[in-house]
Amino acid sequence: MPPIDATGLLLTFARRGEDDAIRQALGRLRVEGAVSVISVGTPVSAPVLSELGCDEVIIYGDGRNARAAITDLRRRRLAMAALIYSDASYAGHLKLEVLALLSGAGWVQRIAPGASSAISRFSLAASVLAKGLSACALAVIGTVICTAAFVCLTLRQTAAGGRRAHRP
Amino acid sequence: MKATIIIASHNGCDLLARSVPAAVEASREAGGHPVVVADDGSTDDSIEFLCRTFPEVVVMALPRRGFGATCNRAVEAVETDAAVLLNNDVVVTPGFLQPLLEHLAQPDVFAVGCKFLNPEGSLTDALGNCTSGVWRGPLLSIRHETRAEPLDHTCPQLYANGGGMAFRPNRWRALGGFDPLYHPFYWEDVDIGYRAWGRGWRVLYEPASVVYHDQGSTMKRLHPAAHIELMSAKNAVLFTWKNLLNGRLFRRALAAQARWAADDVLIGGLPPRLRALQGALRQLPQACRARANEQRERLRSDEEIIALSSGGG
Repeated sequence: MPPIDATGLLLTFARRGEDDAIRQALGRLRVEGAVSVISVGTPVSAPVLSELGCDEVIIYGDGRNARAAITDLRRRRLAMAALIYSDASYAGHLKLEVLALLSGAGWVQRIAPGASSAISRFSLAASVLAKGLSACALAVIGTVICTAAFVCLTLRQTAAGGRRAHRP
Repeated sequence: MKATIIIASHNGCDLLARSVPAAVEASREAGGHPVVVADDGSTDDSIEFLCRTFPEVVVMALPRRGFGATCNRAVEAVETDAAVLLNNDVVVTPGFLQPLLEHLAQPDVFAVGCKFLNPEGSLTDALGNCTSGVWRGPLLSIRHETRAEPLDHTCPQLYANGGGMAFRPNRWRALGGFDPLYHPFYWEDVDIGYRAWGRGWRVLYEPASVVYHDQGSTMKRLHPAAHIELMSAKNAVLFTWKNLLNGRLFRRALAAQARWAADDVLIGGLPPRLRALQGALRQLPQACRARANEQRERLRSDEEIIALSSGGG
């Protein structure tokens, strides 16, 4: 088995105003012994991440490339990962948590405005499971709402006729 | 052509102290046009301040009904051939009026939007210039031009920002004004612009009519950021439900809206989308009526509206 690389993984949506959090995460990863830091980003966020100090950014643009990015991360056998959240509730960010889990990083740090803590792989897996179920529930409720709206709106539109053909 | 300059305001006494003198001066310079402040139930010193400082300004003291309803009430009372709607955080420049009115002389022009600059005079993140839209994903994606060169030319645009637009009041009334569906705020100006294009009219952008806009300064002090985002998301959904009449695009948009709710968990840090959908659902009967009306009145397809209004991009 190859040795664990002293490379840290930084995961963030790189939203506006997260520059300080990204710098904090980079600092934390280096304190924990990361010799280099890689991140996963889009063509838009990649230059920002590089400018802030990431040594390498794996770019993905669609689902197929995201899969390739995960394969690439696993191949590297990362030592640690840092996840940046938008707020201290650690809500949302299922995509980043899945990526951290699949990367195989042995140590994961959560960084949020005013609250940072380490999280075990077991807790991370539990969080991914809970959020996955929440996402499914939200999608089901969203589907019910949108289906009801679609039926009502389309029926009213059909009944209305029109000056010019805009058949639903 | 005479125009009535309407400044809609709620608890914005300090903002009126900057915007009203500029409007009065621009009106005087253009030969004298009535200036009206439509006050939306202010509880600060706005009305007293205006009566004391600007006796030439007509003050409509209206009960608190929200931005759209206040604008509608003010436009109902307009007796001139044209009207100009301004936010209370918009400061006009001398000579802003005439270029707008020249376009309104054309028979197919519904509205003309000003050139919006930030208070410091830059275009960085300025909203409302050469607007265009595309039906992508769950909602209408709106683009605001911020590059200097394209903003030097008059061009068609999807909608004129309600913070600084001139229009013909008779056409405003024919469209029913700002739709109360979008209460309490946001998307009413996009909606009326889209509907105007749908009726066969045009909406233009005029670079010679320069105004300074302290974007959202009123809204930010009246409402928490989360509430503003939620109302904006709810109204974006309602806009789709009301205006997207093309069956194929509509099915695609609603399928994307169903998945959109899960993004709260998938990517976080965004306005709570399920709450936006729930808020829109509560207004579904209203949206159904509005959609049926659009179906009856629409003369252009959604594709035609998007294509024709994107002339500046």
